[in-house]
Amino acid sequence: MSVQTNVDKLICVSVMGQIAMPAAPGLPAEPYRLDSQGRPFLLPSYGGIVYNVSVGDSAYGWLADCVHPGVSISLKDDTGNRGLNLLACVGNTAMVMSGDAKGARGVVTGKSGRFSEHVILHFDKATREKMAIGDKINIKACGVGMEIAGHAGVLLKSCSPELVSGLEVTTSSDGKLNVPVVAVVPPHLLGAGAGLTSEGGSLHIQTQDRAELASVGLDSLRLGDIVALIDYDSSWNHGYFRGAVGIGVIGQGDSPRAGYGPGVTLIMTSMTGGINPVVQPGVNIADVFGLK
Amino acid sequence: MTRLATNESRLVEMAVFGTISQPSLRYPGYTLDMHGVGKVLPGMSGIVYNARVGDPAFGWAADHVEPGVSIANSDGAADMALHYLTCIGNRAIVTGGMAKGAEGIVTGEHARMLVDFAPDVNEMLCVGDPIQIIAYGRGLAFDAFPQIELKKLSPRLLNNIPLEIVDGKLRVPVTMELPPRIMGSGAELNSEYVDQDLMSGDRALMAELGIDKMRLGDLVVIPDADHRYGRGYRKGAAAIALCIHGDSVMTGHGPGILTLMAASEPVIEWVIDPNANISNYLKIRERA
Repeated sequence: MSVQTNVDKLICVSVMGQIAMPAAPGLPAEPYRLDSQGRPFLLPSYGGIVYNVSVGDSAYGWLADCVHPGVSISLKDDTGNRGLNLLACVGNTAMVMSGDAKGARGVVTGKSGRFSEHVILHFDKATREKMAIGDKINIKACGVGMEIAGHAGVLLKSCSPELVSGLEVTTSSDGKLNVPVVAVVPPHLLGAGAGLTSEGGSLHIQTQDRAELASVGLDSLRLGDIVALIDYDSSWNHGYFRGAVGIGVIGQGDSPRAGYGPGVTLIMTSMTGGINPVVQPGVNIADVFGLK
Repeated sequence: MTRLATNESRLVEMAVFGTISQPSLRYPGYTLDMHGVGKVLPGMSGIVYNARVGDPAFGWAADHVEPGVSIANSDGAADMALHYLTCIGNRAIVTGGMAKGAEGIVTGEHARMLVDFAPDVNEMLCVGDPIQIIAYGRGLAFDAFPQIELKKLSPRLLNNIPLEIVDGKLRVPVTMELPPRIMGSGAELNSEYVDQDLMSGDRALMAELGIDKMRLGDLVVIPDADHRYGRGYRKGAAAIALCIHGDSVMTGHGPGILTLMAASEPVIEWVIDPNANISNYLKIRERA
């Protein structure tokens, strides 16, 4: 049975960010991060215009630390950036408002958390070529406040109406929300982001133990994949709770750091087990939104 | 009890400095509990008169309660030195105010450094009073176990923990095991900096596993956790850690666990010992 939302009551409001410059530590300008074995590494990380990585591509294998596919935006004003990070929803549309790519349209595909706090957007590769750091991008933010009728135990976060309809979620015979996912993440493989807000930011699958990752079928994730988080409640912050289920989008790529790996942007959570993840191949927002 | 050989004689002893912190809250003061209910609770910073190392970590009407006295340095880089150089068990001397000359013991590191003073000293302390710590312990390593990283362990604490070598592995007394699936907030930080909260939101699980009996100052083990360069899951690794602050109402939070020993290969063993608390090892509560 398909679901109904209160989409007709939601407010659509502008939030603006500018294409973020990749940043590095200041003096003494030690450029390295340490991987999980204590080895220094220097690789691209979050921010900027990423020309050759997009949603739909693998979340693994890039020589990068938590790479953001496509374009990352933020606002220098801290409280304004929080407004951007809280109100932008996965699936919202955005338009470039300045620079040579003015008028081009994109889609919100994820968010990043503590230490970066960017909103991540997809624009086609031809548009990326015309963009510059600092270009203004305006998002029509819509989704905060959304509820699904008959599913009071399911909270939606950073989730646009288009994502709910595009995922074709349904109500199961026992009243749960069926959500298609590519894989299920067990709680011991969730790391950075635990205890932090679930209204924005990211929760990371941790990938140091590659054998464990492969044994639970998480070693072939793609950016944009929809995954379920088991025994994890994200009603207010992210944290362990038996029976709780979360749903998220793989918003960022893998990381060499301990406690890190592909970043999940949380879109749904139920503390009371009101979500029934239905594992099937190919559930990815690149297909849901027809992103190229 | 075996006293293991270390490189203690080559460590540098150095003063670092902070002042007693005033508790602070953000308007309107609410912390959301796991059910989304707003709570206003004391906890971090200040002089805590009635929660002390050796007391329960659970049950206080508080959030992240920091036992004893919390100190920080107002200069950002100096505060990092206070964080990175101070070790658990270091001496702390009051260098001004009504309690000038009193000596305390470093018992933890959270957003600020945590120092225990005797109750009669606490009565004479004021927010802003200067405290100097004799930082000693950075670089400490076992001669026989180069695979084990020691973090923020002073020689004074290390030498008072009854360690054993059994079949070539180090055996450490702990009060309990924490399963890796409940390790939460702090996973985003490097493991030289502050702590990682255990996630206490599943209250039934806390009771089933006896974790709700944890005391401030307890030594605990997290099997399959690699805390050498961050805090991550790795089968066969182990971390020995210290409970440094009390429970929390927030999802993903709970008592704070600070890394003392870390190994990525199975070289650390443990034995359950209800006395494995730094209050006993450092005789903290015997100081009247």
